Amino acid sequence: MGSITLTNIQKSYGAVHVLHDINLAINEGEFIVFVGPSGCGKSTLLRVIAGLEKVTGGELSINGERVNDVSAADRGLAMVFQSYALYPHMTVRQNLAFGLENAGMPKAEITQRIGEAARMLEIEQYMDRRPGQLSGGQRQRVAIGRAIVRRPTAFLLDEPLSNLDAELRVSTRAEIAALHARLRSTMIYVTHDQVEAMTLANRIVVMRAGRIEQVGTPLDLYNQPANRFVAGFIGAPHMNFIEGALESSNGTHMLRTAQGDVLHLPQSVAPGAPITVGLRPQHISLSNDQSGFAAQVQLVEALGSETVIHASAFGTKLLAIVPGQRRISTGDTIYLSYANAPLHLFDQSGLRIATVQTEDGHSPTFV
Amino acid sequence: MSSPSHTPPRTGQLKPKTDWSSVVLAPVHFIMGLADRPLRLLQKRAGIGGMAAFFLAPNMLIFGVFVLLPIIINLIYSMTGGSALFLSERSFVGTDQYAKLFDCKSYLDPMSCQEDAFWTAVGNTFWFVVLQVTLLILFSLITALILNRELMARSFWRAVFFFPVLLSPVVVGLIWKWILQRQGLLNFALYPMGFEPYTWLSDRTFAFAAAVGVSIWAHMGFYTLILLAGLQAIPKDLYEAAEMDGTKPARIFWRITLPLLMPNLLVVVVLALIRAVQVFDEVFVLTGGGPGTSTLFLTQYIYETGFVSQPRNAGLAAAASILMGLVLVVLTLVQLGIGRKNENKGKR
Repeated sequence: MGSITLTNIQKSYGAVHVLHDINLAINEGEFIVFVGPSGCGKSTLLRVIAGLEKVTGGELSINGERVNDVSAADRGLAMVFQSYALYPHMTVRQNLAFGLENAGMPKAEITQRIGEAARMLEIEQYMDRRPGQLSGGQRQRVAIGRAIVRRPTAFLLDEPLSNLDAELRVSTRAEIAALHARLRSTMIYVTHDQVEAMTLANRIVVMRAGRIEQVGTPLDLYNQPANRFVAGFIGAPHMNFIEGALESSNGTHMLRTAQGDVLHLPQSVAPGAPITVGLRPQHISLSNDQSGFAAQVQLVEALGSETVIHASAFGTKLLAIVPGQRRISTGDTIYLSYANAPLHLFDQSGLRIATVQTEDGHSPTFV
Repeated sequence: MSSPSHTPPRTGQLKPKTDWSSVVLAPVHFIMGLADRPLRLLQKRAGIGGMAAFFLAPNMLIFGVFVLLPIIINLIYSMTGGSALFLSERSFVGTDQYAKLFDCKSYLDPMSCQEDAFWTAVGNTFWFVVLQVTLLILFSLITALILNRELMARSFWRAVFFFPVLLSPVVVGLIWKWILQRQGLLNFALYPMGFEPYTWLSDRTFAFAAAVGVSIWAHMGFYTLILLAGLQAIPKDLYEAAEMDGTKPARIFWRITLPLLMPNLLVVVVLALIRAVQVFDEVFVLTGGGPGTSTLFLTQYIYETGFVSQPRNAGLAAAASILMGLVLVVLTLVQLGIGRKNENKGKR
């Protein structure tokens, strides 16, 4: 088990700065997930920790020891690659043994470690096959096995599920969570899939353009996103955003959109400022009467257990998820409500000013 | 709460776009239109199988006239004797020419053979193939490994190693002749250092070494390119996985690079063998087969027996070329076998 500390980590390729002042402390046994859109620097950060990329600035420590100039092999980390990186000309057994043989480990111990890992991952029957003769899921297990046999300080997993089909991804995700619970090792996991991040992580690191946007538990990020980017990235489908300017009238504050639609807000937000209100699709409900706000239905996705409604309102596209099966068609005008829903208010720069809980859709209060 | 207003989206007038591809392709469509009707009629008569034969016919005709027919004529020539050029004037001798070629007391001693020049050429060609192919593969592999690294001006170096491949073999032979002859560049460079001018190409050992070296220089770029492509096809993350596993560079080469490069390496070895057996032009220009018969190779023997010697012995030359052809057929079959095996591996 190991703790990893990143202090002001920077990485540049010539004039291109890929990572900017990354500060992060990863605790022993923690399951940390780096999440962000393509090109945000999450894989580069993982490779920097692995030692496959040299840091340009800052300090990287493992178990309190500075490892900036320590080779990848000597950092005591094991990596599971996105493509699995299994040696195609070697059998599963040879793949698992290769790293241990490099370390000059006695044969008996190698056999014992491989046996243990094979039992744990249920790959015993494939030991004499080559990677080309295995399915994607089996290859993935072998790749994890290759990491396990090394008994590393920490596991680094670079989008390990991205090559699997949807069904296998769900089951393998659960297996990785179970493996973490069993091994209690530090795991750093990179993904662009926020569902993977939410389901696996103790803490999530949300990245954008080489910077950390927010670090927190999955529910922290979901309930109190630091900014509009995190709010939009965490949660599926993404949060609805309604832009407008604050107005005051007779002591009540409201957001007026460019189209003149009005959304009531608490008093404490300074009037005159342009802001964005964030509202999760799950927090929008259908009004049975004509209370709430009118929306024009553009698309209905009936998923059986719930219905996803794509509608237009407040001059923008809105997504709403309502439970059960509804008889709504494209082109219908429906009434939606945000009663008892948390509204996230973001300033012009995208920072969250507050999250307010509406009571009846008209008089929101701070929470 | 007021309900949001909805404005219907504006529909702008679309400017009709000119489809340039249809303008450019118009002449092609016109010509194809002209050919369409007769081809349809032909297909009606000949059927789909007949159409395939129709399209293959021109190529088969060229192949037949320029490849198949000469092979058959060559085979017939190898069973005739005399110095006449036309087959009708030559006498049928059966396998006499082959018997003459194989008439030896000891195959290891060319001088004990009736056709000693043939066996000298076979021996020279054998040693040439062994040395040239071994060194060629070795140098090509080393060069490819170096060019595969992050080098300064990598593209320039890649071009430098490939340029000799673009030269005509005669030009290659001439360039090296100018370098190695008595008044050549090598002696010119060595003279200021106190070395007396030396007739390099008159030295039997050096002439043979020069033939091997020049041939390697001329062909190395081609094989380097194939090996470089093979090296670049090895996924980078395998090396990163090996790095994470603490694998030493030598072990990475022997356990990862070499096994994964093996399909390319086998193709390269067989191609190099085929070309080495056929060695002729650059060495002929460089040494003319000399001094003596020290650089006389099989193709030169065939050429000289059939076209230069007096009287010309086209039958013997044809028999020797049939034997050489058999060796090449075997090598080509090996290469095809390797290619098929790689293909199947790729499918798996």
